Amino acid sequence: MAVLSKYLPGAKKAREDHFEKDDPRQYLMHDPIPRGQMNEMVMESMHATSWKFWMVFGILSVLVAVCFFYAWGYMIAEGLWVAGVMRPAYWGIFLVNTVFWIGISHAGTFISAILRVFKAEFRRPFTRAAELMTTFGLIQAGASIFMHLGRVWLSYWMFPLPNQRELWPNFHSPLMWDLLAITTYVLGSTMYLYLPLIPDLAMARDRSTGWRKTFYRILALGFRGTEGEWRHLHTAMNFFAFAIIPVMFSVHTIVSWDFAMAMRPGWSSSVFGPYFVLGALHSGMGAVAIVLFIMRYTMKHMDYFIRKEHFDALGKLMMMVSFTYAYFIFNDYIIQWYGGNLATDNLLHWLEEGPMSWMFYQMILFNIVIPFAVLWIPKVRQTPWLLAIVGLLINIGMYWERYIIIPVMLTINNMPFTWKLYEPRIEIYLTIGTFALFLLFYMAASRLIPLIPVWEVQEGQMAHTMRKIGKANVSTISDFE
Amino acid sequence: MSEKITRRNFLKLTTAGAATAAIMTGCGPASRYVTREPYVKMPEYTYNGLSTYYATTCRECAAGCGIIVRTMQGRAIKVEGNPQNPINLGKTCARGQATLHGLYNPDRVENPVRQGRSAPQLSTAQVSWDEAIQTVSDALSKTNASEVAFLMGTAPDHLFDLVSDLTDAIGAPAPLRFSALSMFEARATLSKAAEDLLGQAGLPFFDISNADVVVSFGANFLETWLSPVAYTRGYAKMRRSRPRTRGYMVHFETQMSQTAAKADEWIPLLPGTEGLVALALGKLVAQLRGISAPRAFASVNVQQVVETSGVSMEQLTRVAELIAESHAPIAIPGGQALGQSNGLAAAEAILALNALVDNFGQPGGVSLSPLAPNAGAYHRPANAQEMSDLIAKMKSGKIKVLFIHGVNPLFELPQSFGFAEALHATPTVISFATFPDETALTSDYIFPDHHGLESWGYQRSQTGVMQSVLSGSQPVVAPNYNTRATADVFIEAARLAGGKLAQALPFADEVEFIQSKIENLIARTDGSFIAPEINAFSAYFQQHGGWWASSAESDSLSAANALGKSLNVSSAAASIGENEFFFLPFVSPTLGEAGANKPWLQELPDPTTTVMWNTWVAMNPETARELGIENDDVVRIVSEVGSVEASVYKYPAIHPNAVAMPFGQGHTAYGRFAAGRGANPTDVLAPSFNEAGDLAFAGMKVRIEKTGKQQPLSRLESRIGVYGEGMYEEK
Amino acid sequence: MQMTVDLNRVGAKGAIAEAAEGKWGMSIDRDLCTGCQACVAACAMENNISFVGEEDAGYGRTQHWIRIERFWEGAYPNVKIAGGYQPMMCQQCGHAPCEPVCPVFATPHSDAEQLNLQVYNRCIGTRYCANNCPYQARSFNWRDYHTMPERGNMVNGKLVFPLHNQFNPDVTVRRRGVMEKCTFCIQRIHKAQDKAKSEGREVMDGEFAPACAQACPADAITFGRIDHKDSLVSQRSNEGRGVKHLEDLNTLPRVTYLKEG
Repeated sequence: MAVLSKYLPGAKKAREDHFEKDDPRQYLMHDPIPRGQMNEMVMESMHATSWKFWMVFGILSVLVAVCFFYAWGYMIAEGLWVAGVMRPAYWGIFLVNTVFWIGISHAGTFISAILRVFKAEFRRPFTRAAELMTTFGLIQAGASIFMHLGRVWLSYWMFPLPNQRELWPNFHSPLMWDLLAITTYVLGSTMYLYLPLIPDLAMARDRSTGWRKTFYRILALGFRGTEGEWRHLHTAMNFFAFAIIPVMFSVHTIVSWDFAMAMRPGWSSSVFGPYFVLGALHSGMGAVAIVLFIMRYTMKHMDYFIRKEHFDALGKLMMMVSFTYAYFIFNDYIIQWYGGNLATDNLLHWLEEGPMSWMFYQMILFNIVIPFAVLWIPKVRQTPWLLAIVGLLINIGMYWERYIIIPVMLTINNMPFTWKLYEPRIEIYLTIGTFALFLLFYMAASRLIPLIPVWEVQEGQMAHTMRKIGKANVSTISDFE
Repeated sequence: MSEKITRRNFLKLTTAGAATAAIMTGCGPASRYVTREPYVKMPEYTYNGLSTYYATTCRECAAGCGIIVRTMQGRAIKVEGNPQNPINLGKTCARGQATLHGLYNPDRVENPVRQGRSAPQLSTAQVSWDEAIQTVSDALSKTNASEVAFLMGTAPDHLFDLVSDLTDAIGAPAPLRFSALSMFEARATLSKAAEDLLGQAGLPFFDISNADVVVSFGANFLETWLSPVAYTRGYAKMRRSRPRTRGYMVHFETQMSQTAAKADEWIPLLPGTEGLVALALGKLVAQLRGISAPRAFASVNVQQVVETSGVSMEQLTRVAELIAESHAPIAIPGGQALGQSNGLAAAEAILALNALVDNFGQPGGVSLSPLAPNAGAYHRPANAQEMSDLIAKMKSGKIKVLFIHGVNPLFELPQSFGFAEALHATPTVISFATFPDETALTSDYIFPDHHGLESWGYQRSQTGVMQSVLSGSQPVVAPNYNTRATADVFIEAARLAGGKLAQALPFADEVEFIQSKIENLIARTDGSFIAPEINAFSAYFQQHGGWWASSAESDSLSAANALGKSLNVSSAAASIGENEFFFLPFVSPTLGEAGANKPWLQELPDPTTTVMWNTWVAMNPETARELGIENDDVVRIVSEVGSVEASVYKYPAIHPNAVAMPFGQGHTAYGRFAAGRGANPTDVLAPSFNEAGDLAFAGMKVRIEKTGKQQPLSRLESRIGVYGEGMYEEK
Repeated sequence: MQMTVDLNRVGAKGAIAEAAEGKWGMSIDRDLCTGCQACVAACAMENNISFVGEEDAGYGRTQHWIRIERFWEGAYPNVKIAGGYQPMMCQQCGHAPCEPVCPVFATPHSDAEQLNLQVYNRCIGTRYCANNCPYQARSFNWRDYHTMPERGNMVNGKLVFPLHNQFNPDVTVRRRGVMEKCTFCIQRIHKAQDKAKSEGREVMDGEFAPACAQACPADAITFGRIDHKDSLVSQRSNEGRGVKHLEDLNTLPRVTYLKEG
């Protein structure tokens, strides 16, 4: 806390006054900093850009240029043969990436909408970071879908454009539902990112000069913080928080229907909807843990906003999600196995013993066993780097899960004569490209918009003042929201 | 509610979509299209949008199937079988279908060139056709007749007749017809056996369509053997054309070929014991039928046959019972049984088995194939011995001029024959190749002939049907390149040379020659059509795609001669030592001998292994396990005369002591689709011959060496799904 | 005003499926099929199917519209091909899984011919249809195989492709990025129908055949109207040996396989 001493006269004392040692309620941040100073801190975290940042930024830019734009352009010019897709794995890593990124994107909505609706207080400092993941993740997911198309330059045919021949898109197709769901989600989540951002943008506007001032002025839509504006903002946010939750659940359910609606062993499963949603949350939580870890250790003043108690709370959530995930995966596989369909039996045998079985076992290990084993331990939950590693493992496991569902399961079908093993080719570069682009967006965003929703933190701090009742310090909760 | 939002979103998306589309179509490669140029001036006989169909003959092998080529705007579009032609009755094989990839092959010899033996490149030193004809004329007239040699393809076609007339006139040795197919089918052995047992040389016709038990000794009649389309039809009839009777088929062969795969029973045996098995079967059948074993079978010791061949006593007895109880059994001798040191005896033993069940000349039995209507006698293709003799003559400088047409001996003959050196020792080699094959590129001149679909001609059918058939050819498209019919080249060269040569070929052109050869058919009234005079006849001939006798012939052959002969089949299957294997080359069912330059034939999966575009070594998985060899490991097959390398295919249906390898790949030239692809199994074949002069190729002893390299084979099949690799296989 | 919607016409799920027998059908006699690949070659020649070269072919990118499958049963020396060779192509399902999943209607059902169509120029290459095809009968144009530069010759600085001369003008040459599959040679069906119409009659049984059936040397493939009880294909399909593949998926396949023996 030493670095904060400039902004925290007495903060340390406040902590000592109000908290028992290792009080888990530290996420309530009962060591308020004056608003002006806190705003300064956030502004400074945006401005403080070291050469390291630019180096990483440069590397990522090169990666994006080569692995994303050049590789994709090359693939468009050459055809899909440069990728590894073939019969029978007509879908490959592109859709793995799509599902993966949509999964990542779920964390944002979950944390910010569900936790907002349920008034989980620990959410406050990192709603923004999670929402950004939603938007940026969806961009990668969308790009991956387009990469996967054989004739991407005609992809606009999926939209119901008026045309002379009265050709409509096919609303029976799960891909069409998918398109609708994802576009709805993109629009909804972007709005939902933007709404709580407005007061912070206004704050930044008031503390900037030059092009940044123009930038924030335009984006802040003239927000001045009047009572009426706040009321409108809260109404809109409440509306969107409730509206986005069903969209969030539906979008991954619909993504799962791309698979579940198909007549393929391993895919045709009615549990896929909730299973995918839980899977998405699982990877999303893991990703949030990683992002919080990176933020806390690379950005200025973040150790004030992001505390180990936040990690602790997140860790509990991750553990709960991994329980549910375990339930769904068990449910899915046991029912498939019990069904006794020949093709499905072959598929399960393939997962169990085939050349990709290592991936299957790693998936179980990373998604279920490791979270089960370690997240019970408070020490692990409260150690940011450990939780970040668990998050990373969960994400690897979830990537494997999608990889198993798409190319590995596609290997096995009803026609054993066609079973062939998929090998990714240019997909590897494009995957690196999407990851680099995601990080690049994130890094750019960390310089442009406050990654900490300052007003929410301040609101929380105002709502939870400490009162002394008898001898105990009690955190009071006012119904501020 | 939700519907409303959806629609609103749609409108937003629509705008975004339109913008994206505008960008993306701009960079999409929408402009690359395949262009097909139309006629500049449309010929009178074509209508826009309508196809013109031409009947002609397939030249992909020597069977002489009739085909109808659909053409449109001067382009050949599709090969279809000629339903009237008795050989194939409207059907085709894969090689016939792909003949268009030969016609429009991007690698053809487009101009007459002075090649100057500059292999592997096709020379660009173009010569005019006048010069070319002068060259041929000089070669013919200025060389001593006995020092001229002609080497041609297996098919007995009009060019063979023309060259035969030419050689007759000048007293040169008769043209030799050869191809790898005739070598691997051991046609000379079959025809010699027919001569010995049936009293007349020729290819016997096996009427499997009416047989109820077919016992095949390595006869790959569903693949390439003699007349595969005709025999496939026969097979189908044998199985399904009769009510309540489904013919039963037993196939003796060391590895399971495509034909063996269709048999009800495949019985593996050691190569070289087919004749013994036939004799043992004969003895058992005679016992079962309660007749005293004829002389042919009397001397065989059945127990000993069981020991040498590897066929169990139970199997032998069961097959013998099948034959004995059958009304119409038939035994067929195939190339692998005959291409052995004891091949002739084996062929006779197998034919004698037919004699024993008395099916000669019967429906469902063996007959002599009728001769083509304009043939005086059966002209068998050259056997390997005759090729070897020619090579010896060439090497010793006794051949000054060699004309090569329709055959690629550098590729098709085993290297050990030394054809390369023989070519080197021959002062003038003139090739008439359509494609830049190995032999053509090692010639002095290439005077390219038209592709078969661009040329006139006829082809005599040799077997496959009990009708006398002459298949006719006509150009279905105008020649694509500056090529000329070899017959025309010879006619003009002869005219230029004058004297005896000109007298031998007193024809204006090829067509006149062909007409002179079919003229005598006008008198016949038992044919597919009747015409009063040659022009009308010739027109009908082209229209029908040939001339054939309208009804099947029957011949009465006596079995007495066959059974009276004492047959003594020695076992060719010597014991093999440690790490020694019997080597079984076979002609690739999809590529045939000359299909390697046709990309769609390359892309066709082999029927047994589903390998595409390459050569494999089929090896029993047990053997491979013992040797520590895995699928796709490259092994070197070494014989006393050479070696060849190819990837291993663990083939579950091959005798553990044998390895098999398809013939058809391993070209060093022959166009982009063939060159540098696969390996040629003839590289390890030694020049040893059977009594009929055919190459004893089957079951040659080889060693197998690991190379440590890996070269994956492209298979259509799934190794996971078919062999359980990574899933169900034992680890 | 009351509007009626024909659910069969729009192909809605749960609607009464079309008449189970369909229109055009095929029977394949596995007892007769010799695996000779003539049908595969004929199909390729008729339908301008591109070859893909060694590497892509081995990797599972063959463009064959018809492939011949074979499986083994038993172990040496009693090994044999299980059930005979099995040509596999689009089964022209009456209730096709490929049809509903295409987002742009590139895989519609032909009302007139009761066939599954593939509209090449509508296809955007999502490959969902191929994933959902239980028969794995669809092949995708992974690249412009027809115009690969190594297949052409440079003539006066211009790349020409002699092999293109062979293209059948009745069949579209597909470019990369689109799905394709067996059409039952619909161009031949149309041609025969037009001819019959101009002669004022019905198409006769056996009047024409798809390229595969036409080429098949063993006559293992029979093609015709399966809704006509007296057609050859109906007789063969109903003679007692007939099996339809993956019938339990309710795809209503139009191809009947006749068992060995």
